[in-house]
Amino acid sequence: MSDNSKSLIGTKNKMGQTYADIEDFFNGKIPKEQFFMTGSEIVKEAVKRSSVGMSISYPITPQSEAAALVGELWVEGYVDAYFRGEHEFAVMSECAGASLGGCRVFTTTSGPGTLRAYENFPMWSGGRLPIMLCLMVRGINSPLSIQPDTIEIGMLLDTGMLIWHAEDAQELFDFILKGYVVAEQPDVHLPIAVAIDGFFVSHTKEMVEIPSPDYCLLPYDPYRSPVPVMDMETAPMRVMRDPFVMKSNYISYMTHTSWQLEIRAAIERSRKYTRKLMGGSLIDVEDGDAEIILCTSGTAVSQSREAIRLMKAKGMDVGLVKIKSIRPFPTEEVKKALDKAKLIVVPELNISGWMAKEIKSTIDRNSRVMVGPHVAGGMTMPPEIIVEEIEKEIALRKES
Amino acid sequence: MSTNIVRMSEALADVMPQEYKDLVAHSTYGKVDRGWRDLGESKELIEQHSLCAGCPESLGFRYIMSSLPNPEDTVMVGSTGCTSLVFPHIAVHNIHSLFGNQNAIASGLKRALEVRFPDQVKDVVVLAGDGATVDIGIDMTLQSWFRQEKFTTICFDNEFYANTGGQESGLMQKQFVGKMAPAGKQFDKVNLPQLAIDSGCHYVANLTTSKPMRVEKVIRNAIMVAREIGPSYVQLYTPCILELGLQSNDALDEMKGAEKKNERFEFFEYKTDEVTEYLDKLDAERKERKEARKAAKKGA
Amino acid sequence: MRNYKVVAGPEAYLPPAAATMGVELPDEGGALIEGSLATEEEALEHAAKKFLEAKVPTLFPGPLVLWNWRDGVEKKAKAVRDMFETLKEVAIPGQRPMLIPMPDYRPKYPKIDAETEINPNHPNLTIWHNKIDVCMFVGVHCHFANISLKIIRGETNCYTVAMCAQHGHEDAMMTFRDASADKINQLSAKIRELAGK
Repeated sequence: MSDNSKSLIGTKNKMGQTYADIEDFFNGKIPKEQFFMTGSEIVKEAVKRSSVGMSISYPITPQSEAAALVGELWVEGYVDAYFRGEHEFAVMSECAGASLGGCRVFTTTSGPGTLRAYENFPMWSGGRLPIMLCLMVRGINSPLSIQPDTIEIGMLLDTGMLIWHAEDAQELFDFILKGYVVAEQPDVHLPIAVAIDGFFVSHTKEMVEIPSPDYCLLPYDPYRSPVPVMDMETAPMRVMRDPFVMKSNYISYMTHTSWQLEIRAAIERSRKYTRKLMGGSLIDVEDGDAEIILCTSGTAVSQSREAIRLMKAKGMDVGLVKIKSIRPFPTEEVKKALDKAKLIVVPELNISGWMAKEIKSTIDRNSRVMVGPHVAGGMTMPPEIIVEEIEKEIALRKES
Repeated sequence: MSTNIVRMSEALADVMPQEYKDLVAHSTYGKVDRGWRDLGESKELIEQHSLCAGCPESLGFRYIMSSLPNPEDTVMVGSTGCTSLVFPHIAVHNIHSLFGNQNAIASGLKRALEVRFPDQVKDVVVLAGDGATVDIGIDMTLQSWFRQEKFTTICFDNEFYANTGGQESGLMQKQFVGKMAPAGKQFDKVNLPQLAIDSGCHYVANLTTSKPMRVEKVIRNAIMVAREIGPSYVQLYTPCILELGLQSNDALDEMKGAEKKNERFEFFEYKTDEVTEYLDKLDAERKERKEARKAAKKGA
Repeated sequence: MRNYKVVAGPEAYLPPAAATMGVELPDEGGALIEGSLATEEEALEHAAKKFLEAKVPTLFPGPLVLWNWRDGVEKKAKAVRDMFETLKEVAIPGQRPMLIPMPDYRPKYPKIDAETEINPNHPNLTIWHNKIDVCMFVGVHCHFANISLKIIRGETNCYTVAMCAQHGHEDAMMTFRDASADKINQLSAKIRELAGK
């Protein structure tokens, strides 16, 4: 029982879109066009080409616009079912129900919404539900901030979900399409959070190049799922998703633990597919042999690039490692890329420093890591400040 | 119709354990007019459970499973509680929600099944306890009714959080003393059937599990209404004999006491006019089929 | 980390998932033998040998092949049956091939009848009771196969083979991928060939 849906390639769906292989969206086979659009607008374009079965929405800044645009797709016929739920916990539960019923599901949330929904995330992973969550990160109360802050990504690290962090709108588009293909692999089959920095990416316009809307992803095949879909059309009929295994006799707690290990294993299995679709690596490296490396994700990378330009103009030896996949964390790639660096700088748009912790626990000689600079709640991190902080750090280290 | 999945592969049928052979040979999937009378004469859809001896939930569950109009096309959604110990063993796909979000999961599920099987009957039935329905899940329960989601909500009301040791729940009676209500419950039993009517349910019933025929009729009505018209709600008294300190065989008397006139579980059924017309039509058709079967028997 | 070998246990109190130890699943056309990539031809030969050397070579068909739920299943079930018949045919005195189903995945109370079935929540009971030393899983949803395979590797010395319709199982000692009735028949043929029949 191999991938039957591949036989659909070249045929058309009810909207007249032609099913295509994921590679063709990015290798030039499908004609592309340039547009000037925001991250929110590109979400609509991505979902339009992703053969999404169900999307459920709820208002919270800054993802409301994207969520509402997906609703327009439903009216147009590109998304089979859509509605507004009553709060994020309910929305994520409704997404779970839809995924259990065999649909490809798309949803979005931000900040406080993420926390409200949180109990669902490990349930999604444990239940092997390949739901896509477009996370437009913003501040977590208290105090309240609607502006970008990546602290919530740090809170999702152990939920068992895949987590990719897109730097800009172009990457967001790419990650949504690619994300479905990776998440739905039968040996992966996990929920995936595709994160962007709210406002910086969702609300600013940039030039993007996207493939024609006349093509779409192959549909989700629930019968390739590693767990039975809940539709009374597949065996076995005596199945509950998912029972307390603790009540089973004999090493039942081992069953529970093995189950959770399996989820961790599924994350590992995604590396192979992710590598292939992310252009060969879960990280991007520029001037990797430099003495000073800025290593981070999201728009902190964009700011870092500008800082690097300024530092190079001063004659400093500096490079960049951009982390695209947070879970699975690109351990081997990061170890290798940072092996020669003398100073590793981790600028983050949060005060928890979760990225720095990930890096420090991955590499050896982790005293090379400079934790920060940090901003939070939407505070900007101008490149000049990054440069200043690095120069201060260098001076400090020279002293000691 | 999905009786395919209750069909064994011939080449391997002989090694299947007896319970599955019985399920294939003697269950009532696809049987027109199946009901509680099939119990004892057919293979039940519940294989086993670990509930207390005499538990009315186990009784109610058995009546419900024998009364689903189309079990071969029914998916159930449960929630954490004593019923979670039965759900792994029923021969109908079912989903364990977290706690309280059973109606949210059912909303997503129902819509997904409608997308994937637009021309097929796919009934979604929620079955949860009172804690899950009226306390932790009240907003999602009511919201699914506001949205007119087409599935049935069944509440096994034992007026406690029984599975966790008998704590106070919203459906507990006022002044009743229980855990977390050591001075007695301070507010009235929530009138959930009335809330169901006000929230948009088209069929609402309140009863105990004492009369299998009544349970069968109510469950069948509720599911047919949800299939064709809109959300339905059934509240069933399933007293927890353990927490009430009763003997295994006292449950029936407890339920009979609670359903007397003016008591809180006096049988109550609400139907909109549209529902009345629809159910009358179904009853007439059912009667016709019964007569036809009788006649056929006489003739044969 | 890359040198992790997936061999018969009993391995540990809780064996790690092979994927977390760096074992990657094979691409189309490939297979895995004890954590290393192999060709399908090598895998067929290796599996056949293992079955022929086993005292209690056992097939564990799961729900996806036990229940005739869609086109193509009966053909696959027949292939499983044929493999069992093959094992019986080539069995030498002292060998006792078995065919034990996994009809569903639910946690049964108080425990299963280890002679007549296997369950992913405690597969070791069936392995221990019947003294199974080589077994093959087929038609089991991948998630439950993986859990079973990990528990078996941790608790027993049974050699596991996964005949997987999707991408394979690195927690088995060896795995095929893209399994079909044809592939199962190929394995039966290889067993017969090596047995000299």
